[in-house]
Amino acid sequence: MSMILSSLIIVPLVGAIIALLMGGTREKLSKYVAIAFSAATLVIAVLLLLGIFGDFEDLGESFEWIHNSSFIMNYALEVDGLSILMVFLTALLVLLVNVFSLDEHRENNNYFYALIMAMEVGLMGVYLAADYFLFYIMWEVTLIPMYFMISWYGGPRRHYSAIKFFIYTHVASLVMLIGIFVIGYESVAPGEAVNFLFSAVKAGIGIAPLGVQALVFALLFFGFMVKMPSVPFHTWLPDAHTEAPTEGSVLLAGVMLKMGSYGIIRICIEALPDAAYHWQWVIIAIALVSIIYGAYGCIAQTDLKKMVAFSSISHMGMVMLGIGCLSDAGITFAIFQMFAHGLITAMLFMVCGMTGHKVGTREIPLLGGLAGRMPVYATFMMIAFMASLGLPGLVGFWGEFPVIMAFYEFILENDVIWMLLFCMLSLMLTAGYYLWAMQRTLFGPETKKIDLSKAHDVGHYEFAVLLVLSILVAFFGVWPDGALQFLEPYVDGLIAGMVI
Amino acid sequence: MISDIVVNIFDDLTPLATMIILAIGALSFPAVQMFIKKHTVTWAYATILVVLAFAVNLVLLIDGIECEYLGVCLSPYSTFMALLFLTVLFLVVLVSNSSTETTKNHSGAYYSLLFGATIGMVFVTTSTDLLTIFVGVELTSISSYALVALKRKDGRASEAAVKYAIIGGMSTALTLYGISMVYGVAGSTELAEIAQYVTTMTDTPWILAIGVLCMLAGYGFKIAAVPFHMWAPDVYEGAATPVSIFLATASKKMGLGVFIQVFLVMFIGTTVTGTIFGETFQYIFAIIAAVTMTVGNVVAIAQTNIKRMLAYSSIAQAGYILIMMAVMTPNAEAAGLFHMFTHVFMKGGAFLIVGALICAGVGEKISDYKGLAKRAPVLAFAMMLFLFSLAGIPPLAGFTSKFFLFASAVGVPGEASGAWVWLAFVAILNSAISLYYYARVVKAMYIEKGECTDKIKIPATFMVAIAICVVFVIVLGVYPDLVYGFAETAVGLI
Repeated sequence: MSMILSSLIIVPLVGAIIALLMGGTREKLSKYVAIAFSAATLVIAVLLLLGIFGDFEDLGESFEWIHNSSFIMNYALEVDGLSILMVFLTALLVLLVNVFSLDEHRENNNYFYALIMAMEVGLMGVYLAADYFLFYIMWEVTLIPMYFMISWYGGPRRHYSAIKFFIYTHVASLVMLIGIFVIGYESVAPGEAVNFLFSAVKAGIGIAPLGVQALVFALLFFGFMVKMPSVPFHTWLPDAHTEAPTEGSVLLAGVMLKMGSYGIIRICIEALPDAAYHWQWVIIAIALVSIIYGAYGCIAQTDLKKMVAFSSISHMGMVMLGIGCLSDAGITFAIFQMFAHGLITAMLFMVCGMTGHKVGTREIPLLGGLAGRMPVYATFMMIAFMASLGLPGLVGFWGEFPVIMAFYEFILENDVIWMLLFCMLSLMLTAGYYLWAMQRTLFGPETKKIDLSKAHDVGHYEFAVLLVLSILVAFFGVWPDGALQFLEPYVDGLIAGMVI
Repeated sequence: MISDIVVNIFDDLTPLATMIILAIGALSFPAVQMFIKKHTVTWAYATILVVLAFAVNLVLLIDGIECEYLGVCLSPYSTFMALLFLTVLFLVVLVSNSSTETTKNHSGAYYSLLFGATIGMVFVTTSTDLLTIFVGVELTSISSYALVALKRKDGRASEAAVKYAIIGGMSTALTLYGISMVYGVAGSTELAEIAQYVTTMTDTPWILAIGVLCMLAGYGFKIAAVPFHMWAPDVYEGAATPVSIFLATASKKMGLGVFIQVFLVMFIGTTVTGTIFGETFQYIFAIIAAVTMTVGNVVAIAQTNIKRMLAYSSIAQAGYILIMMAVMTPNAEAAGLFHMFTHVFMKGGAFLIVGALICAGVGEKISDYKGLAKRAPVLAFAMMLFLFSLAGIPPLAGFTSKFFLFASAVGVPGEASGAWVWLAFVAILNSAISLYYYARVVKAMYIEKGECTDKIKIPATFMVAIAICVVFVIVLGVYPDLVYGFAETAVGLI
């Protein structure tokens, strides 16, 4: 049995342990350990992406972990078009984040890098797991490093934010856990041992009555939705982002939020397609509310990072909208939007985090005319903002525009043309808040409210990281097929299984 | 089979083998102490006896020996429970000599009482008669009162002992009263015969219901189920920490064992016949479970003393375990037994660390734990593992056992399927609440800065005991089948 997929989990785990042990005088070296191991992970992920290791179907690993008369739980990993993109994104962002933080020295550096690597373990596990039990364990494993990351290395209100983050997402995942119990037991005849393998549950759950399926769907969906996050369970996100260190924010928005949408597609839609049709309108409604509310929220923010956090809510709403269409195009581009948002939002948080470091504040009213003093910084900020608002030619466009197209199809089918208004409103608002924020921070007369004499432009490592991200944003903007080719077979299979 | 050796030695007395070894110790400790006058010798002697009893019991468990002598029934269930008690006894004895809290002057009596209490527990699990169960419980209880009182210099301990004795006495009276009523109706104290009567009776005599309720209340005190829980925090706080470990992990499990033996055996027939009587009690158990875990967790949030906090968390854990009484399926029972076992290591481990830190001069307040990660990094990390395991965070033992337990509440086969989903929901919400107060200790240890920054050194025996707990908290989380298989066999043969 090939161990390629396991190595994606084991390599960061070893990195985390080594980094953790490098206390005291070797503390400074821990960052290089983290970089080495995350680079190795990225290499494996890229080779996997390019198909060097062979077809995805041949790479699955599975062995029975816990087996008794009531449960069969497996250590099962699988990869397909959906997970490979997320795995690549995770590996990429973790490495970039490690490089990005090279200039900075923190107290207890080794813990910091151990946390980042531990998070990678959990994220890889979530995206590769093919068993509910393993999936849930990995889901929780991502939570703890994030909690400590915010609460040890965050801003002034970090304890409050960390606890809020933890309680919100933990309660949500516990509700999801009940969903997992129910889906497991409903998939087998009474008295039989429950096999928690994705494929086994999927094969068995079809016979359950629609009411039960709908209930399970709701339980699981709730768990995922809080993670995404969708209005009205979004309030942990702006707090967590504002207080988290830049590296934490990047991973949180870049890949952790995607766990929510990944779970919806992988579990809710794949295993419970009938229930998905049952809840379709609810999903669409939640998505629209998130998009509009998130966008309005952005306009009201004065903190750059908080603004970006709200924009994440809005953009993840777009993902949800795509999923809610339950059509080939909708789901394909929802996944693409997850990928695109991962790249863009990483840039956004890096740029906004840098504002705090370089200038001393992230308050938009206090900033102004930074472009003159920090031209490189301003360029990256513009690229990131433009990509996020969906400028054609950059990756954000391919996430947003086709989703709206797919939604348009849905609108026509159901004859609710007025719903188009929401989409237009969201596009307008998104363009509005980004341009407005850019105008207030970068352009116009240089601000007199803060001392800019110490402000300096982008450092070498930061420049390299942002450059890589900008290139990717442009690359996939011009050639979206680079990512879409992986999705096509996956989504085709998914839709084929959904026919009612 | 290795068990042949044991069977050859003890012959007819095999069911009593473990108890005999323990009794040898219980009777000889005061003499050893009197003549040799070295605590370390008594301690070493006690340790050897525990290990011996443990080994004998393990052999009997692995080979699944079943035999009976004079009404003492050895079954996979009794050896499973005995393994649990002996594990606790081993951990407690191991640290007793180096703990500063246990009174050195009375070490003979101290070990005697510990062993005596354990004999009572093992005896209970081998009994099939209400009266012998009662005798075993009394042996344990009376030894425990004295154990609590042994920490003589501390006023809190005396208060706790008196409180414990009074409440214990009351519960004993209640239990006996209940037993007399059940006997009056069913005409026997043999559990099998009572079960036979309950299954075949045509209508429910109210006096039987009252009798069972009295017993429920009486034994409810033993496991500190709400509303019979008031004594637990005071006693755990007042007693020497090794004794607290013993009470919180072993003595409570004996109570839960009694629940399984008495009520389960009594009602399991009725779940088949669907008599209203059994179903009513299922609901009573469900409500007690829900209330117990909720009260335990909510009150724990307000605690500032770590021993009290752990005591309330213990109450909450008993609430989780009571789920098995409500659900009454083999899965639930096995999961309940398994959770009892993991609880030994996580709660025992947490108490061990508290005890070790008391020896090292750290206070019992949560605020005394500030900056502990700097002062004792290994201990702080172990504590974090135990607390997270109690909260049910994967991949630790507490998560796996809770997973099994809550899953068994959801997955009830047959007509009643879905009846206990609400209970799983309450339990899971409680897990979320509990995380708050566990995380508070972790926060104090890791995030907050303490005034004192000296390194902490703790006795080696504590270190060994804690290391054992850490290993099992991780191993049982990743590989639960190690113990769960035994739990399943144990349940199958009750």
